[in-house]
Amino acid sequence: MPWMNRAIADRVKFEFKDVEVEFTRHTTNLHVKQERLIDLLRHLKEKEGYKLFIDHTCIDFPDKKERFQGIYILYNPDTNERVIVKTWARDGKLPSLSGLWQCAKWAERESYDMFGVVYEGHENLRRMFMWEGYPYFPLRKDFPLQGIPEVELPSLTELYAGRTEPPSHDYELMHTRVATFEDLERTEKSRLQKKAQLVLNWGPLHPGTHGTIWFLFDLDGEKVVQSDIILGQLHRGMEKIAENLYYFQFLPYTDRMDYISAICNELSYVTAVEKLLGVEVPEKARYIRTMFAELQRINSHLLWLGTGALDLGALTVFLYAFREREKIMDIIEGNAGFRLTSAFLRIGGVHYDLAEGTLEVVKAFIKDFPNRLKEYHNLLTRNRIWLRRTKDIGVISREDVFNYGLTGPVARGSGVPYDIRKLEPYAAYDEVEFDIPVGEVGDVYDRYLVRMEEMVQSLRIIEQCVAKLEKLPKSAPYVNKEHPAVMAPKENVFMDLEDMVKNFRIVVHGESAPPGEVYSSGENPRGELGFYIYSTGGSKPYRLRIRSGALYNLSIFPKLIQDGTIADAIALLGSLDPVVGETDR
Amino acid sequence: MAMLNSNGFVLTTVDELLSWGRRNALWPLTIGLACCAIEMMHAAASRFDLDRLGVIFRASPRQADLLIVAGTVVNKVAPMLKLLWEQMPDPKWCVSMGGCASAGGPFPTYSTLQGVDRIIPVDVYIPGCPPHPQGLLYGILQLQKKIKEKGVKKYDKAFEEFKKDMERQGLVPREITV
Repeated sequence: MPWMNRAIADRVKFEFKDVEVEFTRHTTNLHVKQERLIDLLRHLKEKEGYKLFIDHTCIDFPDKKERFQGIYILYNPDTNERVIVKTWARDGKLPSLSGLWQCAKWAERESYDMFGVVYEGHENLRRMFMWEGYPYFPLRKDFPLQGIPEVELPSLTELYAGRTEPPSHDYELMHTRVATFEDLERTEKSRLQKKAQLVLNWGPLHPGTHGTIWFLFDLDGEKVVQSDIILGQLHRGMEKIAENLYYFQFLPYTDRMDYISAICNELSYVTAVEKLLGVEVPEKARYIRTMFAELQRINSHLLWLGTGALDLGALTVFLYAFREREKIMDIIEGNAGFRLTSAFLRIGGVHYDLAEGTLEVVKAFIKDFPNRLKEYHNLLTRNRIWLRRTKDIGVISREDVFNYGLTGPVARGSGVPYDIRKLEPYAAYDEVEFDIPVGEVGDVYDRYLVRMEEMVQSLRIIEQCVAKLEKLPKSAPYVNKEHPAVMAPKENVFMDLEDMVKNFRIVVHGESAPPGEVYSSGENPRGELGFYIYSTGGSKPYRLRIRSGALYNLSIFPKLIQDGTIADAIALLGSLDPVVGETDR
Repeated sequence: MAMLNSNGFVLTTVDELLSWGRRNALWPLTIGLACCAIEMMHAAASRFDLDRLGVIFRASPRQADLLIVAGTVVNKVAPMLKLLWEQMPDPKWCVSMGGCASAGGPFPTYSTLQGVDRIIPVDVYIPGCPPHPQGLLYGILQLQKKIKEKGVKKYDKAFEEFKKDMERQGLVPREITV
């Protein structure tokens, strides 16, 4: 995807004299003083058409005078250009953007939670992931990854069964701070002031919430007067982990973010890192990646279909969808050696060549799957109950798509053809043909139809990938061995001294990345998954920000459910399809 | 130990009869925390079909006697999970599924509980990240074996000690105002 070009940058510069424009290798950055930030962003949004809010985060520079730098990434859907706006937080304070973009509220909450940056003008600046009363700001550079052990938590298994010598497992007695019920109650009460009859908690440990999301509904009878969402019940500190690992070591963690579409996550991540390191990927690897990413997309949409229908009472669809999921997972397991969190891709290629017989199995699958899709359509599409539960529920307008930073099938369901695979083709998406389905109304039913059609389009892509892979010779390289930052394939490591030394060097010292920054994203089943990597050189990223599509898609939920009924919440949440591993990271 | 004699009578003890019933009708609580929950769903769905072992997921902790901790337990969710465990009636068992629940797994971070056994006594640990559904099946079979061999355990003593510990740390809920 191109970045803001010189002509527009000059125009902005003409309007705002003190803006510094910086063209880096991968991005265009506008540096602005904190006082002019709101004006500049309003100008970019209203005059220049940068109306889709991609992401906001901060970077901590403990040695600089103004410690925190705010980063805003915007996108212009008309010219297909992105821009990064940077500003220094004076005295740890930044102005709130909630007047410009609604979803900025959540990004600001997160950045307050992680860095302690205060946003002036924010309506309710509370902790996003940690609980109220948590005293630290974890993403600051002076906070250790392991946290600060301060409470004594012995293993109860040992307490019950008695200590064994040697101990049953090795653990430290001291543990980081654990939330108490008081903390949780304070967290809940700080989020929502009761206006109507009853505050209903939905979740966090409820199977209908697709994980561990904690919803608060203020109810008047059955009607939702106001609601809020408390996240962080699966906050595992992914971004902090990334700062402490080499680039290749973080790859398995991306699997565990959106665990339903592991290979798509990996693909987004390796695309970003390859851009930073300047790695070319061989043709075969690109096609293998595309094929598996699309298989994973079908897999993910099947889980959405199964659980979404299960939530609305259709158990059969769940069992049918899981039958097909098992087939896809077997294909992935046969190649990657693992079903769910597969860690199949590598920087510069894929881990293994295609296993013998994979293409035949995939061909059998794509021959069989359209009939299965027909089954699902028969069960749901014209089903009267399904229609009553989904039609005209949770209608998202086009303005709201930009206002809330919605991406993926949720944006496309409202008629915005925003698909990274077309706009910024990665892997082999520029060499295969496929269409982007869009909805008309933007209700739950449209999003259902969009996802169903996406599965058909994924089948098309897989078909083309199989045809291409069949033509490629067996000896074609599946990993870029020449690049110094790419690990050699395993069979070479055991046979070749140079490859062994190279692998040894990368494993011990990591890849050395050039200083610079890169933002790259991939089209995940749950929206745009972006990685913003800020590197100061060396083998670890200085800051790795994960732009989660599911988080932004979820941010519109309180607005949509307002004045709706509690039963709609379930259908609506199913159609937004968040995964907590990705929203919380 | 049941014995079948030639007259068609089955002789057994009450304990053994109860244990037989309990181990063949383990009803887990329907909660999923992270990635492992997907594999747990797969174990319950069409291919692996946990129902045939008498494992039927229940939505209420009052009806459940098995807690499968499927996924990463973070510090924020720990008291909630603990509450669910305490809401389950005795006798009850806990299976820790996957690396995260067993010992923190790949997340030795500020926000993750390093092993669910710090808040709940665990009976069976299943390794894997996440374990294959077959792994979960094997774990449940191991639990059945354990129930058969050891009978129904009493957690009372351990709980007394644990409760005292919680009170000492101030982890017991109280009325508060904000």
